[in-house]
Amino acid sequence: MDASLFAPFASPVILFFLLGLLASALRSDLAIPEAMAKGMSLYLMAAIGLKGGVAVAKSGVNAEVAAALLAGLALSFAIPVLAYAVLRSFGRLDQVNAGAVAAHYGSVSVVTFVTANEILGAGGLVVAGFMVAVLAVMETPAILSGLMLARRGHGGDGHSRGELLREVFLNASVVLLLGSFAIGLIAGPKGFAEVQPLFDSGFKGVLCLFLLDMGLIAARRLIDARALNLRLVVLAIAFPLFNGTLGVLVGHAVGLDVATAAALGVLCASASYIAVPAAMRLALPQADPGIYLTMSLSITFPFNILVGISLFAALSRLLAG
Amino acid sequence: MIETVIRKRIEILVDSALVRRVTDAIDKAGITGWSVLPVTSGSGRDGRWREERVMGTDKSLVLTISSIEKAEALVEVLAPMLNSHGLLLTMWDVEVIRGERF
Repeated sequence: MDASLFAPFASPVILFFLLGLLASALRSDLAIPEAMAKGMSLYLMAAIGLKGGVAVAKSGVNAEVAAALLAGLALSFAIPVLAYAVLRSFGRLDQVNAGAVAAHYGSVSVVTFVTANEILGAGGLVVAGFMVAVLAVMETPAILSGLMLARRGHGGDGHSRGELLREVFLNASVVLLLGSFAIGLIAGPKGFAEVQPLFDSGFKGVLCLFLLDMGLIAARRLIDARALNLRLVVLAIAFPLFNGTLGVLVGHAVGLDVATAAALGVLCASASYIAVPAAMRLALPQADPGIYLTMSLSITFPFNILVGISLFAALSRLLAG
Repeated sequence: MIETVIRKRIEILVDSALVRRVTDAIDKAGITGWSVLPVTSGSGRDGRWREERVMGTDKSLVLTISSIEKAEALVEVLAPMLNSHGLLLTMWDVEVIRGERF
């Protein structure tokens, strides 16, 4: 068996996540203050955006960047449609909940991507900086796809339309990711050097603490889960496997390198638990967070962190020969 | 002896993402003041919930005090959202001083 598949389990990032899972499962009173968790998520998004912008400032924009952006955009629109059909048939969810869950799986998880960057980088696979732009582009189309599917044949809530569009296109993570990406692009490596001590040196430590918190929340939500059944648990593992494989295949088809195709696979496999839930609370308040958040955060997220990232890296290596 | 008058105190438990919609409704009802308080955790018909700001599942409590006429106008506006958006609205009589302010 490929030893690199197990290498991530020696990474502090993964070990802190496992510590969080374990502490919550054992009902420890360990908790990260909410304001600190929110602050760490903003720090991680700003840091990853800046680094991505700086990387593109160094490499420039070319056909590969355009192909990756288009591929990400198309996949983010298409994945919810496939997921919705399976959630309605095999998952036996109603239209609203199926649409809400589908939106989560079409969108992306920033933290999964950041963790993948660390794990792939430790294995010698350096992901292209422009993938941060692909990440930002993939945040919102799935929300629109999911809402259209959930509301098919039932008009929307007129009062919320303006609010919803603002939430979809100007939600905090999209603004911060694209904004810091643009800042990195404008500032370039020289400008970045001035803020590097904050955004680079402390990055892994903050990621460790944030993943500790995610581990705590993921296990706690799973313990408290009422609405989840075996079919949904199966789908929460099948979706990342299928979507991730699709992402790696598309990545290779459009000419991305091994690491970047693996990262596209990770993006497709990941499910949002920051941007999309906020939009769903506004647009689909009838959808049950006990289903969509538990699936995306408590099952798919740990699966991707512990298994998926290494799996998609191995698949990408295999396809490259 | 300080004179007091009876007014309605209204409490609305709402997802933090929807607070602005509630405060807009309060403003439209002509009520001049409100306060928003964070809520850390709770339990209801759909199970337990806690403040998880990263995921946006946190809730807030919106407090306001008004005359009975304005309180009724506010309830009219918010009634459709009670079921669709899972709001919890309670109100009761309270004694206030400087009643002309509410």
